[in-house]
Amino acid sequence: MVEVRNITKRYGPFVAVDNVEFTVDKGQVLGFIGPNGAGKTTTMRILTGFLPASAGTAIVAGHDVFDEPMQVKRKVGYLPETPPLYRELTVGDYLRFCGELRGIRGVEADRRVGEVMDRVGLRGWERRITGSLSKGYRQRVGLAQALLHKPEVLILDEPTSGLDPAQVVGVRELIGSLAGEHTVILSTHILREVEALCSHVVVINKGKLSAKGTMEEVRESASARWYRIELNQADAAAAAIGALAEVEVVEPLGDGALKVIAPSDPRAAIARLCAEKGYALNALERVLPTLEDAFLSLVGAEA
Amino acid sequence: MRTVLTILKKELKIYFVSPLAYVFLGVFLFLSGVFFYLGIVLTGEASLRVMLGNLAISLIFVLPMLTMRHFAEEQRAGTFELLMTSPISLASLIVGKWLASLVMCTLMLGGTLLFPLVLEYYGDPDWAIIGTSYLGLLLVCAGLCAGGLFASSLTNDQVAAGMGGIVLLLPFWLVGNVTSFVSEDLQPILAKLAMLTHLRSFTKGIIDTADIAYFVAFTFVFLFLTYRTLESRRWR
Repeated sequence: MVEVRNITKRYGPFVAVDNVEFTVDKGQVLGFIGPNGAGKTTTMRILTGFLPASAGTAIVAGHDVFDEPMQVKRKVGYLPETPPLYRELTVGDYLRFCGELRGIRGVEADRRVGEVMDRVGLRGWERRITGSLSKGYRQRVGLAQALLHKPEVLILDEPTSGLDPAQVVGVRELIGSLAGEHTVILSTHILREVEALCSHVVVINKGKLSAKGTMEEVRESASARWYRIELNQADAAAAAIGALAEVEVVEPLGDGALKVIAPSDPRAAIARLCAEKGYALNALERVLPTLEDAFLSLVGAEA
Repeated sequence: MRTVLTILKKELKIYFVSPLAYVFLGVFLFLSGVFFYLGIVLTGEASLRVMLGNLAISLIFVLPMLTMRHFAEEQRAGTFELLMTSPISLASLIVGKWLASLVMCTLMLGGTLLFPLVLEYYGDPDWAIIGTSYLGLLLVCAGLCAGGLFASSLTNDQVAAGMGGIVLLLPFWLVGNVTSFVSEDLQPILAKLAMLTHLRSFTKGIIDTADIAYFVAFTFVFLFLTYRTLESRRWR
């Protein structure tokens, strides 16, 4: 549904997005994560046809963003980081204007505006001036605008930034309900949000692609591979295990557990060692890093 | 074409739901009232010559204030991104905004038709000349609105856009008055560039295609520059 082909965006000598490539299939919810300034917004702006890429291209909903921007714009719903509202207009007038921009008029416009307002929880807010709304409600109006024309692809740039916890839950539930029906690309730096909503993840850092794939694949790909061991003589065993060739670092976790960091799987060697020395091995398991661990190891802790 | 109407409707709605439209109409009517009174008292003629001449000058200051918010505010508020990710062309966006400003001008000028009616009641004004004068003023408005939109496309700051618009447009008025300070070779060129030269025949009751062409070209050039500016912003 969305195919990003080696997109690069330069601003003078500064490279904002460097040769990024990923695909999103129909109905997927893709989490697009990276530290601030990583190039998330720039990439999304290229996908919506707002910015031209310096090199590479993207196919969105079957059309090339560069060759057929109008076709792409018809099929994409986009919520920028700050909802693009006209402060002077009422919610109803604003949404009807957005509909008209997309050729939705008359009775159909009234129907669609009513539908999306119900969907995002704005029922009864039609006559409010958008400039007087709280941040959470502005976000909802922005979302309503993006959903108005039943877009095949929804691009949401940090849809929950600046909302209070209750509103965050509301917006997340809403986005969750859109999966399947729409293909969603969601940028954020809140990792719990990605874990809650997304099946697939793309991580970018300083304009470059760091990782992509399903949630599990991205967590696997993190370099911080570690193993959890439980045995009866943890302190004595720690030194012996640390001396194994496969093992890089051994850290006590307390309660007779050890954390073992190793580049290649050391489990067979550890089991052999325990058998030789007579330690009672209670647990020996590979621990999948959390998305947060994976993210930090991918983008570096300084980010 | 329909998208032009969509933009036009939205712009007019924003003018009229905010105090903006009323302030402009009020200020403009007040100014024209003052000019009308002074014109009648000073000349003792049943003509609008003084009023319309002064209004034309004040338009140079008023219209950039009317157009300054158009692109500057869209860029600042992020709504430009909404428009540019909607399936509408940049050209229809610009034309829609320009038409909205022109509709405001028509309303402002329409309000001043009160004064020729007063003249008709007390005297015997020449309606043909009044008609061509208003046509001329409307053409001036078309050009000034285009220039104001261009100024607005250059910046995210409304005030800068307004002041920039005045600075940009004022020379087209002033060159008509400074011709005696420059060399004789330059004089006819400057005179041809000046708005006043082209407005003058309208105020005498003459409709000259050359003058109409001047205003059409003026408008087109600035709308085109606006287009190029906004287009090039995407690439930076």
